[in-house]
Amino acid sequence: MRVFIRYAIRETFTNLWRNRLMTLAAVLTVAVSLSLVGAALMFKQSASQASVVWEQQTKVTVWMSPKVDAAELSAVQSQLSTSPYIHGTCTYQTQQQSYQQALLLLPEAESSVLRPQDMPSAYLCVPSVPTDASILISTFSGQPGVYKVTAPTNAIHHMQQTIRVMQFVAITLALTLLVSAIVLILNTIRLAIFSRRREVSVMKLVGATNWFIRMPYISEGFMQGLLGSGVAVALLTALHTWYPLSGNEFHLSTSDLVGTSIVVVLVGVLIGSLGSAFAIRRFLDV
Amino acid sequence: MIRFENVSKTYKNGTVALRDVSLNIEKGEFVFLVGSSGSGKTTCLRLLLREETPDSGRILELGRDIGSMRKSRVPYLRRNIGCVFQDFRLLPTKTVFENVAFAQEVIGRPRSTVDAQVPQILELVGLADKMNNLPSELSGGEQQRVAVARAFVNRPLVLLADEPTGNLDPTNSEQIMNLLDRINKTGTTVVMATHDKGLVDRMRRRVIELDGGELVRDQLRGVYGIDDPTGGHS
Ligand SMILES: Nc1ncnc2c1ncn2[C@@H]1O[C@H](COP(=O)(O)OP(=O)(O)OP(=O)(O)O)[C@@H](O)[C@H]1O
Ligand SMILES: [Mg+2]
Repeated sequence: MRVFIRYAIRETFTNLWRNRLMTLAAVLTVAVSLSLVGAALMFKQSASQASVVWEQQTKVTVWMSPKVDAAELSAVQSQLSTSPYIHGTCTYQTQQQSYQQALLLLPEAESSVLRPQDMPSAYLCVPSVPTDASILISTFSGQPGVYKVTAPTNAIHHMQQTIRVMQFVAITLALTLLVSAIVLILNTIRLAIFSRRREVSVMKLVGATNWFIRMPYISEGFMQGLLGSGVAVALLTALHTWYPLSGNEFHLSTSDLVGTSIVVVLVGVLIGSLGSAFAIRRFLDV
Repeated sequence: MIRFENVSKTYKNGTVALRDVSLNIEKGEFVFLVGSSGSGKTTCLRLLLREETPDSGRILELGRDIGSMRKSRVPYLRRNIGCVFQDFRLLPTKTVFENVAFAQEVIGRPRSTVDAQVPQILELVGLADKMNNLPSELSGGEQQRVAVARAFVNRPLVLLADEPTGNLDPTNSEQIMNLLDRINKTGTTVVMATHDKGLVDRMRRRVIELDGGELVRDQLRGVYGIDDPTGGHS
Protein backbone atom coordinates (compact mmCIF):
# COMPACT_ATOMS: atom_id res chain seq x y z
CA MET A 1 0.00 0.00 0.00
CA ARG A 2 2.77 2.45 0.87
CA VAL A 3 4.55 1.55 -2.34
CA PHE A 4 1.32 2.11 -4.25
CA ILE A 5 0.72 5.56 -2.76
CA ARG A 6 4.31 6.65 -3.23
CA TYR A 7 4.30 5.42 -6.81
CA ALA A 8 0.98 7.09 -7.62
CA ILE A 9 2.04 10.44 -6.18
CA ARG A 10 5.42 10.38 -7.91
CA GLU A 11 3.92 9.46 -11.27
CA THR A 12 1.14 12.02 -10.94
CA PHE A 13 3.56 14.88 -10.47
CA THR A 14 5.94 13.63 -13.16
CA ASN A 15 3.04 13.51 -15.60
CA LEU A 16 1.80 16.95 -14.60
CA TRP A 17 5.28 18.39 -15.00
CA ARG A 18 5.96 16.65 -18.30
CA ASN A 19 2.82 18.05 -19.88
CA ARG A 20 3.06 21.32 -18.01
CA LEU A 21 1.80 23.53 -20.83
CA MET A 22 -1.29 21.44 -21.35
CA THR A 23 -1.70 21.19 -17.60
CA LEU A 24 -1.49 24.96 -17.32
CA ALA A 25 -4.14 25.37 -20.02
CA ALA A 26 -6.43 22.87 -18.32
CA VAL A 27 -5.93 24.37 -14.86
CA LEU A 28 -6.58 27.90 -16.10
CA THR A 29 -9.72 26.86 -17.95
CA VAL A 30 -10.97 25.14 -14.83
CA ALA A 31 -10.09 28.26 -12.84
CA VAL A 32 -11.88 30.65 -15.19
CA SER A 33 -14.99 28.54 -15.50
CA LEU A 34 -15.20 27.90 -11.78
CA SER A 35 -14.64 31.59 -11.02
CA LEU A 36 -17.62 32.32 -13.22
CA VAL A 37 -19.69 29.65 -11.51
CA GLY A 38 -18.64 30.98 -8.12
CA ALA A 39 -19.24 34.59 -9.05
CA ALA A 40 -22.67 33.68 -10.40
CA LEU A 41 -23.45 31.83 -7.18
CA MET A 42 -22.31 34.71 -5.01
CA PHE A 43 -24.21 37.21 -7.11
CA LYS A 44 -27.29 35.04 -6.82
CA GLN A 45 -26.99 34.97 -3.05
CA SER A 46 -26.35 38.67 -2.99
CA ALA A 47 -29.28 39.41 -5.29
CA SER A 48 -31.79 37.23 -3.52
CA GLN A 49 -30.74 38.82 -0.25
CA ALA A 50 -31.28 42.23 -1.82
CA SER A 51 -34.70 41.33 -3.11
CA VAL A 52 -35.76 40.17 0.33
CA VAL A 53 -34.66 43.54 1.65
CA TRP A 54 -36.52 45.34 -1.12
CA GLU A 55 -39.67 43.37 -0.57
CA GLN A 56 -39.55 43.99 3.14
CA GLN A 57 -39.20 47.64 2.41
CA THR A 58 -42.16 47.61 0.05
CA LYS A 59 -44.50 50.34 1.06
CA VAL A 60 -48.00 50.71 -0.22
CA THR A 61 -48.90 54.35 -0.62
CA VAL A 62 -52.59 55.26 -0.54
CA TRP A 63 -52.75 58.69 -2.15
CA MET A 64 -55.81 60.72 -1.12
CA SER A 65 -57.38 63.08 -3.56
CA PRO A 66 -56.36 66.71 -2.84
CA LYS A 67 -60.06 67.59 -2.45
CA VAL A 68 -60.88 64.73 -0.09
CA ASP A 69 -63.36 65.55 2.66
CA ALA A 70 -62.92 64.71 6.32
CA ALA A 71 -65.52 61.88 6.32
CA GLU A 72 -63.88 60.07 3.45
CA LEU A 73 -60.49 60.52 5.07
CA SER A 74 -61.56 59.04 8.37
CA ALA A 75 -63.36 56.15 6.62
CA VAL A 76 -60.18 55.18 4.80
CA GLN A 77 -58.14 55.63 7.93
CA SER A 78 -60.33 53.36 10.02
CA GLN A 79 -60.35 50.74 7.29
CA LEU A 80 -56.55 50.88 7.11
CA SER A 81 -56.15 50.55 10.84
CA THR A 82 -58.26 47.38 10.95
CA SER A 83 -56.91 45.70 7.78
CA PRO A 84 -55.20 42.36 8.56
CA TYR A 85 -52.91 42.90 5.58
CA ILE A 86 -51.11 45.81 7.16
CA HIS A 87 -48.16 45.56 9.45
CA GLY A 88 -48.36 48.06 12.33
CA THR A 89 -49.99 51.41 11.66
CA CYS A 90 -49.78 53.58 8.60
CA THR A 91 -47.96 56.87 8.59
CA TYR A 92 -49.90 59.87 7.45
CA GLN A 93 -48.16 62.22 5.03
CA THR A 94 -49.75 65.65 4.89
CA GLN A 95 -50.21 67.71 1.74
CA GLN A 96 -47.42 69.95 2.98
CA GLN A 97 -45.06 66.98 3.33
CA SER A 98 -45.96 65.70 -0.14
CA TYR A 99 -45.21 69.14 -1.47
CA GLN A 100 -41.79 69.16 0.22
CA GLN A 101 -41.03 65.78 -1.31
CA ALA A 102 -42.08 66.91 -4.75
CA LEU A 103 -39.78 69.89 -4.44
CA LEU A 104 -36.91 67.51 -3.86
CA LEU A 105 -37.85 65.16 -6.68
CA LEU A 106 -38.95 67.48 -9.45
CA PRO A 107 -36.88 69.98 -11.40
CA GLU A 108 -37.32 73.57 -10.37
CA ALA A 109 -39.24 74.52 -13.52
CA GLU A 110 -41.98 72.07 -12.72
CA SER A 111 -42.05 72.31 -8.95
CA SER A 112 -42.36 76.06 -9.09
CA VAL A 113 -45.89 75.81 -10.46
CA LEU A 114 -46.99 73.42 -7.73
CA ARG A 115 -48.86 74.56 -4.67
CA PRO A 116 -49.27 72.55 -1.45
CA GLN A 117 -53.03 72.48 -1.87
CA ASP A 118 -52.64 70.69 -5.25
CA MET A 119 -50.71 67.88 -3.65
CA PRO A 120 -52.35 64.68 -2.42
CA SER A 121 -51.95 63.66 1.18
CA ALA A 122 -51.11 59.99 1.67
CA TYR A 123 -51.01 56.98 3.99
CA LEU A 124 -47.73 55.06 3.89
CA CYS A 125 -48.36 51.45 4.89
CA VAL A 126 -46.18 48.35 5.23
CA PRO A 127 -47.95 45.16 4.13
CA SER A 128 -47.88 42.21 6.57
CA VAL A 129 -46.08 40.15 3.92
CA PRO A 130 -44.76 41.62 0.68
CA THR A 131 -47.34 39.79 -1.44
CA ASP A 132 -50.18 41.50 0.42
CA ALA A 133 -49.31 44.67 -1.47
CA SER A 134 -51.51 43.67 -4.42
CA ILE A 135 -54.49 42.96 -2.11
CA LEU A 136 -54.14 46.40 -0.57
CA ILE A 137 -53.96 47.98 -4.01
CA SER A 138 -57.17 46.30 -5.19
CA THR A 139 -59.01 46.96 -1.92
CA PHE A 140 -58.33 50.68 -1.72
CA SER A 141 -58.23 51.69 -5.38
CA GLY A 142 -61.46 53.47 -6.33
CA GLN A 143 -62.70 54.02 -2.80
CA PRO A 144 -64.26 57.44 -2.29
CA GLY A 145 -61.58 60.07 -1.71
CA VAL A 146 -58.73 57.79 -2.81
CA TYR A 147 -56.78 59.21 -5.73
CA LYS A 148 -54.45 56.26 -6.39
CA VAL A 149 -52.76 53.34 -4.62
CA THR A 150 -49.18 52.62 -5.57
CA ALA A 151 -46.46 50.15 -4.60
CA PRO A 152 -43.02 49.66 -6.14
CA THR A 153 -43.79 45.98 -6.91
CA ASN A 154 -43.30 46.46 -10.65
CA ALA A 155 -39.90 48.04 -10.18
CA ILE A 156 -38.78 45.17 -7.95
CA HIS A 157 -40.15 42.67 -10.40
CA HIS A 158 -38.26 44.30 -13.22
CA MET A 159 -35.05 44.33 -11.22
CA GLN A 160 -35.41 40.66 -10.36
CA GLN A 161 -35.95 39.82 -13.99
CA THR A 162 -32.78 41.64 -15.00
CA ILE A 163 -30.85 39.77 -12.35
CA ARG A 164 -32.23 36.46 -13.56
CA VAL A 165 -31.14 37.17 -17.12
CA MET A 166 -27.66 38.08 -15.95
CA GLN A 167 -27.45 34.88 -13.93
CA PHE A 168 -28.61 32.84 -16.88
CA VAL A 169 -25.91 34.33 -19.09
CA ALA A 170 -23.23 33.74 -16.46
CA ILE A 171 -24.32 30.14 -15.83
CA THR A 172 -24.47 29.33 -19.55
CA LEU A 173 -21.00 30.75 -20.06
CA ALA A 174 -19.72 28.87 -17.05
CA LEU A 175 -21.22 25.58 -18.24
CA THR A 176 -19.67 25.98 -21.68
CA LEU A 177 -16.32 26.63 -20.06
CA LEU A 178 -16.76 23.68 -17.73
CA VAL A 179 -17.28 21.41 -20.71
CA SER A 180 -14.13 22.74 -22.36
CA ALA A 181 -12.30 22.28 -19.07
CA ILE A 182 -13.32 18.60 -19.02
CA VAL A 183 -12.19 18.18 -22.63
CA LEU A 184 -8.85 19.85 -21.88
CA ILE A 185 -8.27 17.65 -18.85
CA LEU A 186 -9.22 14.60 -20.89
CA ASN A 187 -6.73 15.63 -23.53
CA THR A 188 -3.83 16.19 -21.11
CA ILE A 189 -4.44 12.79 -19.61
CA ARG A 190 -4.66 11.24 -23.04
CA LEU A 191 -1.24 12.74 -23.81
CA ALA A 192 0.12 11.41 -20.53
CA ILE A 193 -1.22 7.95 -21.32
CA PHE A 194 0.23 8.02 -24.84
CA SER A 195 3.64 9.13 -23.67
CA ARG A 196 3.56 6.25 -21.19
CA ARG A 197 2.17 3.49 -23.33
CA ARG A 198 5.41 1.46 -23.15
CA GLU A 199 5.37 1.67 -19.37
CA VAL A 200 1.72 0.68 -19.33
CA SER A 201 2.31 -2.36 -21.51
CA VAL A 202 5.22 -3.48 -19.32
CA MET A 203 3.09 -2.96 -16.24
CA LYS A 204 0.36 -5.14 -17.67
CA LEU A 205 2.91 -7.77 -18.58
CA VAL A 206 4.45 -8.06 -15.14
CA GLY A 207 1.09 -8.11 -13.39
CA ALA A 208 0.42 -4.64 -12.06
CA THR A 209 -3.22 -4.39 -11.01
CA ASN A 210 -5.60 -2.23 -12.99
CA TRP A 211 -5.91 0.23 -10.14
CA PHE A 212 -2.18 0.53 -9.89
CA ILE A 213 -2.02 1.38 -13.59
CA ARG A 214 -4.96 3.78 -13.52
CA MET A 215 -4.24 5.63 -10.31
CA PRO A 216 -1.64 8.13 -11.57
CA TYR A 217 -4.01 9.25 -14.33
CA ILE A 218 -7.01 9.49 -12.04
CA SER A 219 -5.11 11.59 -9.57
CA GLU A 220 -3.67 13.68 -12.39
CA GLY A 221 -7.18 14.76 -13.39
CA PHE A 222 -8.11 15.17 -9.74
CA MET A 223 -5.08 17.42 -9.19
CA GLN A 224 -5.87 19.54 -12.24
CA GLY A 225 -9.41 20.04 -10.98
CA LEU A 226 -8.15 20.82 -7.50
CA LEU A 227 -5.49 23.28 -8.68
CA GLY A 228 -8.02 25.00 -10.94
CA SER A 229 -10.55 25.33 -8.17
CA GLY A 230 -7.81 26.61 -5.85
CA VAL A 231 -7.10 29.44 -8.25
CA ALA A 232 -10.85 30.06 -8.58
CA VAL A 233 -11.27 30.25 -4.80
CA ALA A 234 -8.43 32.79 -4.64
CA LEU A 235 -10.13 34.89 -7.32
CA LEU A 236 -13.48 34.65 -5.53
CA THR A 237 -11.89 35.69 -2.25
CA ALA A 238 -10.46 38.70 -4.03
CA LEU A 239 -13.88 39.46 -5.51
CA HIS A 240 -15.43 39.14 -2.08
CA THR A 241 -12.86 41.44 -0.51
CA TRP A 242 -13.24 44.12 -3.15
CA TYR A 243 -16.91 43.48 -3.83
CA PRO A 244 -18.22 46.62 -5.50
CA LEU A 245 -21.68 46.31 -3.92
CA SER A 246 -20.68 45.83 -0.31
CA GLY A 247 -22.14 48.23 2.24
CA ASN A 248 -25.72 47.96 0.94
CA GLU A 249 -28.41 45.32 0.67
CA PHE A 250 -26.18 43.33 -1.75
CA HIS A 251 -23.62 42.80 1.02
CA LEU A 252 -22.12 39.28 1.19
CA SER A 253 -21.10 37.61 4.41
CA THR A 254 -17.97 35.48 4.87
CA SER A 255 -20.13 32.37 5.19
CA ASP A 256 -21.46 33.04 1.68
CA LEU A 257 -17.87 32.98 0.45
CA VAL A 258 -17.05 29.80 2.34
CA GLY A 259 -20.16 28.04 1.04
CA THR A 260 -19.41 29.11 -2.53
CA SER A 261 -15.79 28.00 -2.20
CA ILE A 262 -16.83 24.55 -1.04
CA VAL A 263 -19.14 24.21 -4.04
CA VAL A 264 -16.37 25.43 -6.36
CA VAL A 265 -13.82 22.94 -5.01
CA LEU A 266 -16.31 20.07 -5.24
CA VAL A 267 -17.21 20.94 -8.82
CA GLY A 268 -13.50 21.30 -9.68
CA VAL A 269 -12.63 17.90 -8.29
CA LEU A 270 -15.67 16.42 -9.99
CA ILE A 271 -14.79 17.70 -13.46
CA GLY A 272 -11.17 16.64 -12.97
CA SER A 273 -12.26 13.13 -12.09
CA LEU A 274 -14.75 13.08 -14.96
CA GLY A 275 -12.04 14.12 -17.41
CA SER A 276 -9.69 11.40 -16.25
CA ALA A 277 -12.44 8.79 -16.11
CA PHE A 278 -13.30 9.46 -19.76
CA ALA A 279 -9.63 9.40 -20.78
CA ILE A 280 -8.97 6.15 -18.97
CA ARG A 281 -12.02 4.44 -20.38
CA ARG A 282 -11.18 5.59 -23.85
CA PHE A 283 -7.40 5.36 -24.03
CA LEU A 284 -6.12 3.10 -21.26
CA ASP A 285 -6.94 -0.44 -22.18
CA VAL A 286 -6.90 -2.17 -18.81
CA MET B 1 1.72 -26.97 -14.86
CA ILE B 2 0.47 -26.04 -18.35
CA ARG B 3 -2.25 -27.97 -20.10
CA PHE B 4 -4.07 -27.28 -23.38
CA GLU B 5 -7.24 -29.32 -23.86
CA ASN B 6 -8.55 -29.14 -27.43
CA VAL B 7 -7.78 -25.46 -27.68
CA SER B 8 -8.90 -23.55 -30.77
CA LYS B 9 -8.43 -19.88 -31.43
CA THR B 10 -9.82 -17.83 -34.27
CA TYR B 11 -9.01 -14.12 -34.38
CA LYS B 12 -11.76 -11.59 -34.92
CA ASN B 13 -10.81 -11.14 -38.57
CA GLY B 14 -11.49 -14.84 -39.15
CA THR B 15 -7.89 -16.09 -39.14
CA VAL B 16 -7.72 -19.52 -37.54
CA ALA B 17 -4.56 -19.42 -35.43
CA LEU B 18 -4.93 -22.64 -33.43
CA ARG B 19 -6.95 -25.74 -34.21
CA ASP B 20 -7.77 -28.29 -31.55
CA VAL B 21 -4.40 -28.22 -29.81
CA SER B 22 -3.85 -30.46 -26.79
CA LEU B 23 -0.60 -30.62 -24.87
CA ASN B 24 0.74 -30.99 -21.39
CA ILE B 25 3.86 -29.40 -19.93
CA GLU B 26 5.14 -30.44 -16.52
CA LYS B 27 6.72 -28.25 -13.91
CA GLY B 28 10.39 -27.60 -14.61
CA GLU B 29 10.28 -28.64 -18.26
CA PHE B 30 12.03 -26.77 -21.06
CA VAL B 31 9.99 -26.70 -24.26
CA PHE B 32 10.84 -25.35 -27.71
CA LEU B 33 7.85 -24.22 -29.74
CA VAL B 34 8.71 -24.39 -33.43
CA GLY B 35 6.90 -24.06 -36.72
CA SER B 36 6.89 -21.85 -39.76
CA SER B 37 5.83 -18.26 -39.67
CA GLY B 38 2.14 -17.90 -38.90
CA SER B 39 1.84 -21.39 -37.48
CA GLY B 40 0.48 -20.12 -34.14
CA LYS B 41 3.48 -20.02 -31.78
CA THR B 42 2.93 -16.45 -30.60
CA THR B 43 -0.78 -17.15 -30.26
CA CYS B 44 0.02 -20.01 -27.86
CA LEU B 45 2.13 -17.71 -25.73
CA ARG B 46 -0.50 -14.95 -25.79
CA LEU B 47 -3.07 -17.45 -24.58
CA LEU B 48 -0.74 -18.47 -21.74
CA LEU B 49 -0.36 -14.80 -20.79
CA ARG B 50 -4.10 -14.45 -21.09
CA GLU B 51 -3.78 -11.63 -23.56
CA GLU B 52 -6.23 -13.74 -25.54
CA THR B 53 -8.79 -16.32 -24.54
CA PRO B 54 -9.50 -19.56 -26.42
CA ASP B 55 -12.74 -19.91 -28.41
CA SER B 56 -13.09 -23.53 -27.38
CA GLY B 57 -11.18 -25.93 -25.20
CA ARG B 58 -9.57 -25.30 -21.85
CA ILE B 59 -6.22 -23.94 -20.79
CA LEU B 60 -5.01 -24.90 -17.34
CA GLU B 61 -2.02 -23.03 -16.01
CA LEU B 62 -0.64 -23.09 -12.48
CA GLY B 63 -3.64 -25.13 -11.49
CA ARG B 64 -6.24 -22.68 -12.76
CA ASP B 65 -8.53 -22.63 -15.75
CA ILE B 66 -7.34 -19.34 -17.19
CA GLY B 67 -9.99 -19.18 -19.89
CA SER B 68 -12.74 -18.63 -17.34
CA MET B 69 -10.60 -16.55 -14.98
CA ARG B 70 -12.03 -13.21 -13.85
CA LYS B 71 -10.32 -10.24 -15.45
CA SER B 72 -9.36 -8.78 -12.09
CA ARG B 73 -7.37 -11.96 -11.27
CA VAL B 74 -5.26 -11.79 -14.43
CA PRO B 75 -2.55 -9.51 -12.93
CA TYR B 76 -1.97 -12.03 -10.15
CA LEU B 77 -1.63 -14.82 -12.72
CA ARG B 78 0.91 -12.75 -14.65
CA ARG B 79 3.02 -12.23 -11.54
CA ASN B 80 3.86 -15.91 -11.83
CA ILE B 81 4.73 -15.70 -15.51
CA GLY B 82 7.80 -13.96 -16.86
CA CYS B 83 8.11 -13.08 -20.51
CA VAL B 84 10.80 -12.10 -22.97
CA PHE B 85 10.32 -10.91 -26.54
CA GLN B 86 12.32 -10.59 -29.69
CA ASP B 87 12.26 -6.78 -29.45
CA PHE B 88 13.35 -6.62 -25.75
CA ARG B 89 10.64 -4.06 -24.78
CA LEU B 90 12.82 -2.14 -22.37
CA LEU B 91 11.86 1.36 -21.26
CA PRO B 92 14.29 3.68 -23.05
CA THR B 93 14.23 6.44 -20.43
CA LYS B 94 15.03 4.16 -17.52
CA THR B 95 18.43 2.76 -16.61
CA VAL B 96 19.15 -0.95 -16.51
CA PHE B 97 18.56 -0.95 -12.77
CA GLU B 98 15.32 1.02 -13.08
CA ASN B 99 14.02 -1.20 -15.85
CA VAL B 100 14.39 -4.29 -13.71
CA ALA B 101 13.23 -2.51 -10.54
CA PHE B 102 10.11 -1.32 -12.38
CA ALA B 103 8.83 -4.89 -12.61
CA GLN B 104 8.96 -5.11 -8.83
CA GLU B 105 7.74 -1.63 -7.98
CA VAL B 106 4.56 -1.85 -10.02
CA ILE B 107 3.46 -4.97 -8.23
CA GLY B 108 3.97 -3.25 -4.92
CA ARG B 109 7.26 -4.74 -3.73
CA PRO B 110 8.81 -2.58 -0.99
CA ARG B 111 11.91 -0.55 -1.72
CA SER B 112 14.10 -2.73 0.48
CA THR B 113 13.22 -5.86 -1.50
CA VAL B 114 13.88 -4.07 -4.78
CA ASP B 115 17.23 -2.75 -3.62
CA ALA B 116 18.29 -6.19 -2.48
CA GLN B 117 17.05 -8.29 -5.39
CA VAL B 118 17.74 -6.18 -8.46
CA PRO B 119 21.57 -6.10 -8.09
CA GLN B 120 21.46 -9.81 -7.40
CA ILE B 121 19.59 -10.60 -10.60
CA LEU B 122 21.80 -8.22 -12.61
CA GLU B 123 24.78 -10.12 -11.25
CA LEU B 124 23.18 -13.34 -12.51
CA VAL B 125 22.82 -11.99 -16.06
CA GLY B 126 26.33 -10.50 -15.92
CA LEU B 127 25.34 -6.85 -16.11
CA ALA B 128 26.13 -5.64 -12.60
CA ASP B 129 28.65 -3.18 -14.02
CA LYS B 130 26.13 -1.66 -16.46
CA MET B 131 23.44 -1.05 -13.84
CA ASN B 132 23.30 2.69 -14.44
CA ASN B 133 23.45 2.63 -18.23
CA LEU B 134 20.49 3.35 -20.44
CA PRO B 135 19.31 0.58 -22.79
CA SER B 136 20.51 2.65 -25.77
CA GLU B 137 24.04 2.33 -24.39
CA LEU B 138 23.92 -1.47 -24.49
CA SER B 139 24.39 -4.04 -27.25
CA GLY B 140 21.39 -6.08 -28.39
CA GLY B 141 22.57 -9.10 -26.43
CA GLU B 142 22.98 -7.03 -23.29
CA GLN B 143 19.54 -5.49 -23.73
CA GLN B 144 18.02 -8.93 -24.01
CA ARG B 145 19.81 -9.96 -20.82
CA VAL B 146 18.23 -7.00 -19.08
CA ALA B 147 14.86 -8.16 -20.40
CA VAL B 148 15.52 -11.65 -19.06
CA ALA B 149 16.50 -10.17 -15.71
CA ARG B 150 13.24 -8.21 -15.65
CA ALA B 151 11.24 -11.30 -16.52
CA PHE B 152 12.92 -13.36 -13.84
CA VAL B 153 13.28 -10.85 -11.00
CA ASN B 154 9.91 -11.76 -9.50
CA ARG B 155 10.84 -15.47 -9.57
CA PRO B 156 8.01 -16.59 -11.85
CA LEU B 157 7.04 -20.24 -12.05
CA VAL B 158 6.79 -20.03 -15.83
CA LEU B 159 9.00 -18.14 -18.27
CA LEU B 160 7.66 -17.53 -21.78
CA ALA B 161 10.11 -16.44 -24.47
CA ASP B 162 8.96 -15.45 -27.96
CA GLU B 163 11.93 -15.67 -30.33
CA PRO B 164 14.27 -14.19 -27.71
CA THR B 165 17.29 -14.70 -29.97
CA GLY B 166 15.57 -13.50 -33.12
CA ASN B 167 17.52 -10.23 -33.24
CA LEU B 168 20.83 -11.53 -31.95
CA ASP B 169 24.04 -12.87 -33.46
CA PRO B 170 25.08 -16.48 -32.67
CA THR B 171 27.33 -15.53 -29.74
CA ASN B 172 24.66 -13.46 -28.06
CA SER B 173 22.01 -16.07 -28.85
CA GLU B 174 24.18 -18.63 -27.13
CA GLN B 175 24.47 -16.42 -24.04
CA ILE B 176 20.71 -15.92 -23.83
CA MET B 177 20.15 -19.62 -24.33
CA ASN B 178 22.55 -20.42 -21.48
CA LEU B 179 20.77 -17.92 -19.30
CA LEU B 180 17.36 -19.49 -19.99
CA ASP B 181 18.88 -22.89 -19.36
CA ARG B 182 20.18 -21.75 -15.97
CA ILE B 183 16.80 -20.28 -15.13
CA ASN B 184 15.17 -23.56 -16.11
CA LYS B 185 17.58 -25.39 -13.78
CA THR B 186 16.19 -23.40 -10.85
CA GLY B 187 12.91 -25.22 -11.45
CA THR B 188 11.22 -22.62 -13.64
CA THR B 189 9.21 -24.00 -16.54
CA VAL B 190 10.44 -22.40 -19.78
CA VAL B 191 8.51 -22.25 -23.05
CA MET B 192 10.47 -20.75 -25.91
CA ALA B 193 9.14 -20.09 -29.40
CA THR B 194 12.01 -19.98 -31.88
CA HIS B 195 13.17 -20.29 -35.48
CA ASP B 196 16.77 -20.91 -34.41
CA LYS B 197 17.54 -24.35 -35.82
CA GLY B 198 21.09 -24.42 -34.46
CA LEU B 199 20.00 -23.80 -30.89
CA VAL B 200 17.17 -26.33 -30.94
CA ASP B 201 19.33 -29.03 -32.45
CA ARG B 202 22.12 -28.44 -29.98
CA MET B 203 19.98 -28.26 -26.84
CA ARG B 204 18.10 -31.50 -27.43
CA ARG B 205 15.07 -30.53 -25.40
CA ARG B 206 11.40 -31.22 -25.89
CA VAL B 207 10.16 -29.78 -29.19
CA ILE B 208 6.52 -29.01 -30.00
CA GLU B 209 5.87 -28.20 -33.62
CA LEU B 210 2.85 -26.36 -34.93
CA ASP B 211 1.79 -26.15 -38.54
CA GLY B 212 -1.12 -24.01 -39.64
CA GLY B 213 -2.40 -23.91 -36.08
CA GLU B 214 -2.29 -27.67 -35.57
CA LEU B 215 0.08 -29.57 -33.33
CA VAL B 216 2.03 -31.81 -35.69
CA ARG B 217 4.89 -33.01 -33.51
CA ASP B 218 5.64 -33.33 -29.82
CA GLN B 219 9.04 -34.82 -29.29
CA LEU B 220 11.16 -35.29 -26.20
CA ARG B 221 14.84 -34.46 -26.80
CA GLY B 222 13.85 -33.32 -30.28
CA VAL B 223 15.42 -31.33 -33.09
CA TYR B 224 14.21 -28.45 -35.25
CA GLY B 225 13.58 -30.27 -38.54
CA ILE B 226 10.58 -32.56 -39.01
CA ASP B 227 12.50 -35.15 -40.99
CA ASP B 228 14.66 -36.10 -38.02
CA PRO B 229 13.06 -39.09 -36.21
CA THR B 230 15.24 -38.93 -33.08
CA GLY B 231 13.39 -38.98 -29.74
CA GLY B 232 9.95 -40.30 -28.85
CA HIS B 233 6.48 -38.95 -28.52
CA SER B 234 5.26 -38.00 -25.10
N1 LIG C 1 -4.01 -10.03 -33.49
C1 LIG C 1 -4.26 -10.80 -34.57
N2 LIG C 1 -5.37 -10.59 -35.30
C2 LIG C 1 -5.63 -11.37 -36.36
N3 LIG C 1 -4.85 -12.35 -36.79
C3 LIG C 1 -3.74 -12.62 -36.11
C4 LIG C 1 -3.38 -11.86 -34.96
N4 LIG C 1 -2.21 -12.32 -34.48
C5 LIG C 1 -1.87 -13.33 -35.30
N5 LIG C 1 -2.77 -13.51 -36.27
C6 LIG C 1 -2.74 -14.56 -37.32
O1 LIG C 1 -2.79 -15.81 -36.65
C7 LIG C 1 -1.91 -16.73 -37.26
C8 LIG C 1 -0.89 -17.22 -36.24
O2 LIG C 1 -0.06 -16.14 -35.87
P1 LIG C 1 1.10 -16.24 -34.79
O3 LIG C 1 1.55 -14.86 -34.51
O4 LIG C 1 0.63 -17.04 -33.66
O5 LIG C 1 2.20 -17.01 -35.60
P2 LIG C 1 3.70 -17.33 -35.21
O6 LIG C 1 3.83 -18.80 -35.25
O7 LIG C 1 4.06 -16.64 -33.97
O8 LIG C 1 4.49 -16.69 -36.43
P3 LIG C 1 5.96 -16.05 -36.43
O9 LIG C 1 6.91 -17.20 -36.43
O10 LIG C 1 6.01 -15.31 -37.73
O11 LIG C 1 6.07 -15.18 -35.24
C9 LIG C 1 -1.27 -16.00 -38.42
O12 LIG C 1 -1.97 -16.34 -39.58
C10 LIG C 1 -1.47 -14.54 -38.11
O13 LIG C 1 -1.62 -13.82 -39.29
MG1 LIG D 1 5.41 -15.10 -33.46
